[in-house]
Amino acid sequence: MSEEHHITPLKTYLLVAGTLFFLTAVTVWASYIDLGSFNIVLALLIAGTKAGIVATFFMHLLWDDKKNATIFVGSLMFLAIFIGITMTDTEFRGAVNPEIKDPINKRAAFYNSLPLTDDHGYPLDKEKNHHEGDKDHH
Amino acid sequence: MSGTNQNYLTHPKGIMSWLLTLDHKRIGLMYLFGGLFFFFIGGLLALGMRYALATPEADFVTNDQYNSMYTLHGAIMIFLFIIPAIPGALGNILLPLMLGAKDVAFPRLNLASFYLYTIGAIFFIYVMISGGVDTGWTFYTPYSTESHTNVMGTTMGVFIIGFSSILTGLNFIATVHKMRTPGLTWYKLPLFVWALYGTSLVQITATPVIAITMVLLMLERLLGIGIFDPALGGDPVLFQHFFWFYSHPAVYIMILPAFGIISEIIPVHSRKKVWGYKFIAYSTLSIAFIGFLVWGHHMFTSGQSVLSQIIFSFITYFVGIPTGVKIFSWMLTMYRGQVSFTPPMLYALSFLFLFTIGGLTGIFLGAVALDIHLHDTYFVVAHFHYVMQGGTIVAFLGGLHHWWPKSFGKMYNQTIANICAIGVFIGFNGTFFPQFLLGLRGMPRRYATYDALGSEELVAQYAATHGSSTFFSGILGLSIFIGVMNLLWSLRKSNKLDPGTNPWGALTMEWTHTTSPPHPHNFEEEPVLEHGPYDYDKVIVQPTLKK
Repeated sequence: MSEEHHITPLKTYLLVAGTLFFLTAVTVWASYIDLGSFNIVLALLIAGTKAGIVATFFMHLLWDDKKNATIFVGSLMFLAIFIGITMTDTEFRGAVNPEIKDPINKRAAFYNSLPLTDDHGYPLDKEKNHHEGDKDHH
Repeated sequence: MSGTNQNYLTHPKGIMSWLLTLDHKRIGLMYLFGGLFFFFIGGLLALGMRYALATPEADFVTNDQYNSMYTLHGAIMIFLFIIPAIPGALGNILLPLMLGAKDVAFPRLNLASFYLYTIGAIFFIYVMISGGVDTGWTFYTPYSTESHTNVMGTTMGVFIIGFSSILTGLNFIATVHKMRTPGLTWYKLPLFVWALYGTSLVQITATPVIAITMVLLMLERLLGIGIFDPALGGDPVLFQHFFWFYSHPAVYIMILPAFGIISEIIPVHSRKKVWGYKFIAYSTLSIAFIGFLVWGHHMFTSGQSVLSQIIFSFITYFVGIPTGVKIFSWMLTMYRGQVSFTPPMLYALSFLFLFTIGGLTGIFLGAVALDIHLHDTYFVVAHFHYVMQGGTIVAFLGGLHHWWPKSFGKMYNQTIANICAIGVFIGFNGTFFPQFLLGLRGMPRRYATYDALGSEELVAQYAATHGSSTFFSGILGLSIFIGVMNLLWSLRKSNKLDPGTNPWGALTMEWTHTTSPPHPHNFEEEPVLEHGPYDYDKVIVQPTLKK
């Protein structure tokens, strides 16, 4: 897309590669420290930084038409919207009505009062032929 | 415009010249006839269901057949007709013409999209012959992982058609950015181009998610990976998040191009400059964006968290703002214009009426408390048919009538077309308005029978309402069928228009700068822009229709 092809000096490449190796070491080092739920945040932060560096320098987003960078950042934004808003469900499910937290897990305590069923929801003590069985009673 | 008779329909000749064509107009026509074929199949399924529901008992089809019918009706109408119809058919034919371009940016990719569409369609046909599929077009887990019908074939078909959609979107975005004729700046673009651009953005950002969803569902069925199975640590509601993260924006993939068509038809047939050009253009983009933030309003009864429900319900209302902007802009465009009741305009006026009802009942359903009651009832069925059929399909029919003389150089019988347009309006309202009442009275959707749903009195009420809905669905089906036959009948040899005809006196470039039907390379010389697309206050072009 750019008018002329940008030639990156070897020094930049080596510097970027060095940074990536350094961050890999940081990842390994960080894996030995227990930060509780912050573990995943830290790991993603380091990995995200590395991916950003690769996209910026190795994949030439820095020197390309800015539309390409916009699309790249835009796609990350969409991923963030998808995961972020979905987490308003998964993280807060059952906050008001605790019984909806695990409603479908057949091993959940909620089901203890119900009769035992097999994986398909049919009573365990009945005879076979349950696969086609329930669809056809008119 | 010129003396040569060369046009894209007859030059070059032969079946292979069509199957291997790179001409956007021919690809558009192939999409058009493919889409109309599946519209016919989907319509027959719909009429079959209406016939079955005319009586409370299962006397026409078995319950399993009924399940398969509504699933295939939904999936075929959405994936094989509505989504590809406007961008794939009308968009392909018109976009380069409106931009003054020779073709789309990537003609080979364009043909590849059509091939993918065809392959996906073959999967659907295979599913139909192999006994159908009964999950509903939404493929909700856990049932879709356990159903013994052909879920794999259908999801594979959807997966492949998704790529067709992505490639078309990509192609259109590149075309709008790179292929405009000199002087055609963004604010001089016809609003249909803005609509296609907004649609394309949604297509390339949302469609990959349905592809992922379908792959996950297939893996779940084949290998039991457990993403959606709580026994393995998964979450079935997560499937609905995945599904609606695509399928809600897909609603805008379906309706935005329809908005574009209406924005073209109304100024031309009112002979008036469009009111609020920039408002309409930007409302398209904001609908495209807001459309990504509201998917959870399909899931109010799924067991998602209360926090999500509040967020989704709140954001849903925002969609009403840009949509309202459009409706009012169109009405102000007509205000004090010279409105002529041509077939395209009748469809556009129907659209305004029907889409407004569809949109306003969407506000009902966006409210959590009300939705809990109305969820999965006929109220929802009526609502989305008002949006999808009353909105998109009516606009598509309007656009088809508007650009038919452009695409084929033939004029259809306008009296028959007008009668059919009125028949569609009456038939549509008669079919779907009673369904709002059915829903309010508690009739659940997707039920094959309703003889055991309540007291005899209630069942009798249901039967009466279903009966009238079925009666009018016959009028609707017949009107659309005769309307399309009227178009096809115009293709006979003896019927010809002068190649320079501008039947509606339109000012957009596809009418003013090329012949009908267009030259194989669209324009004989690079078109020079002389006026804006809606400058009816400055330029006077008389409709030049001679029989």
